[in-house]
Amino acid sequence: MFEYLNQSEVIRSIVTVGSMALFFVGLFGLLSQKHFIKIFISIAIMESAVFLFFIGNVFERDFTAPIMGEGYTNVAQMNDPIPHAMILTAIVIGMAVMALGVSMAIEYYKLTKNTDIDKMNEMRH
Amino acid sequence: MSIKRSLATTTISGFALSAAFVLTLLNLLLQNLPAHMHRAGDELLKLNADEGIANAVTTVVVYFRGFDTLGEIAVLFIASLGIGLMLGENERCEIKAESNFMLQTASRLLFPIITLYGIYVMVYGHLSPGGGFQGGVIIASGVLLLLISHKEYEVPHSLVVWLETFAGVAYVLIGLIGLLTLDVFLSNFLPHDIAQMGLLISGGIIPIIYILVGIKVGSEMSMIVQNLIKRQSNV
Repeated sequence: MFEYLNQSEVIRSIVTVGSMALFFVGLFGLLSQKHFIKIFISIAIMESAVFLFFIGNVFERDFTAPIMGEGYTNVAQMNDPIPHAMILTAIVIGMAVMALGVSMAIEYYKLTKNTDIDKMNEMRH
Repeated sequence: MSIKRSLATTTISGFALSAAFVLTLLNLLLQNLPAHMHRAGDELLKLNADEGIANAVTTVVVYFRGFDTLGEIAVLFIASLGIGLMLGENERCEIKAESNFMLQTASRLLFPIITLYGIYVMVYGHLSPGGGFQGGVIIASGVLLLLISHKEYEVPHSLVVWLETFAGVAYVLIGLIGLLTLDVFLSNFLPHDIAQMGLLISGGIIPIIYILVGIKVGSEMSMIVQNLIKRQSNV
């Protein structure tokens, strides 16, 4: 009954639509929330949507992981290793940026006791 | 009609319009897709066999993009440095709650196993899924377990400084040796026979570099975690 779901194109389009929906959830949170920790969480959600999009879109049915070994030497039947490597880089950089941003938020809260981005007007006067 | 209500309808119709647009675009893309696309990774997978590394992702990260990985751990180092400068004060925060006996015993029991697993993931990064970044983060999670269970535990700072310096300097030195011997920065100057593929000692410099990356990531992540947990107490 659900055989058609088992094609690579269908799975890739499901991943694409789902990751775009997740991206827009994160974007909505980014635009609508006022608390800066919630804004960081929204940015993290958008990041994971991009990771899902890249990793899910290299999926091919009956392809193996890009790891060679005994009986796994047919490189034409292996998944593309480039998105995995790119997303590995992106995850590490995203983690570093997130940790630095959270520590800046902690410092800002320590100085001003304020978590609302609308009340961040220290530079104005 | 109140202004709030009209705003909500605008938002919803905007979302619906953009969703319809995206779906139309996707439909067009998917209908015009060739049966088997030629991917950039195919060429890399053919080149990957020359280096004698089983895991192609490791080859891409450490060898084809080795210079980018050097920049990436530099970014991680700068982030760690910034967090240390902002949060790493001399006065440490008193964690009020004493963690219970079972958490303390279990964390002491689990920490060597987590560290061993992290080292395994790090060392076998060129043969199986995993590698330096993943192994380093696993080791940092073990340190996090110790930090939340033992109030007085601190990451040994001199050891972390030594390990981080060693890993960073060794990475650059290996790259420079490649530059001197084979005229390319980070070239594979150690023997890398394709017959050795799948063995633990294979692939020349690639496993060595990934282990160095793992040491650096593990120490930096441990320091980030400690600085975020044991920050100054006046919040």
